[in-house]
Amino acid sequence: MSFCLETHLQQSDNYEILIKQAGFKDCAKLIEEKAMSIVYIKPGEKILGARIIGLPPIPIGINDENGTVMMPYTKPCYGTAVVELPVGEEEIVKIKAVSIK
Amino acid sequence: MKKALILLGCPESPAQTPMAIYASYRLTQVGYDVTVVSNPSAMRLIDVSDPEENYVKNKNKIDIDSCIENLNEGDFDLLLGFVHKDAAVAFFVTFYHILNTKSMALIFEKDPELLEDYEKQVLENTDAQIVSARAYHNPNPIRVKLDKAIKSMEG
Repeated sequence: MSFCLETHLQQSDNYEILIKQAGFKDCAKLIEEKAMSIVYIKPGEKILGARIIGLPPIPIGINDENGTVMMPYTKPCYGTAVVELPVGEEEIVKIKAVSIK
Repeated sequence: MKKALILLGCPESPAQTPMAIYASYRLTQVGYDVTVVSNPSAMRLIDVSDPEENYVKNKNKIDIDSCIENLNEGDFDLLLGFVHKDAAVAFFVTFYHILNTKSMALIFEKDPELLEDYEKQVLENTDAQIVSARAYHNPNPIRVKLDKAIKSMEG
């Protein structure tokens, strides 16, 4: 079964929120500063079963060693958060495949 | 028939609901089949304000999460996004890049610095037409500018 970001965030506590209710630009900067490595994707690109909201290019932090990704998560009334969650190698390969730089 | 998508933001801004209903009315007048997309709380305000669906048909109301999931390039001829929060900028830019169609950002905010910041972010990340006004409770400054923009769009 493929990964679903919404379900994971609703039904698991296995994720970390690094910042919440922030502006998108601040969240992008935090990912660029904290992530082990970064790939960039287009706004609206589907990864982890969800379309990612933001301004281009959207940074996604990747930690190959731990199998985690760090990404922005935006909701209309709550601004943008940065979440870090374990996703497994297969999902990381898929994210790298849609990266634009 | 041409299809327009009105993208609403968080319902915190008092001007959003009357402007959503007005924009739907105006776009319908100029020949668009109008769909409104928002989160459930913003849609509840539309539901109560337009109980007989005179301006927004129930079949044309879509939840933002399911809409973005199934959205594709070419689904709409016009995107009109309500931009009055940082998250709304991010949503508008994302919808713009998915749809790749004629787009208009209706930017309104009472704080002039935030208004300028939202305008700048939309300008830097899209080729959308920007319609902006300093407004919060009073929708009239936005309405006047939207009317002008729709008139010029129709040529």
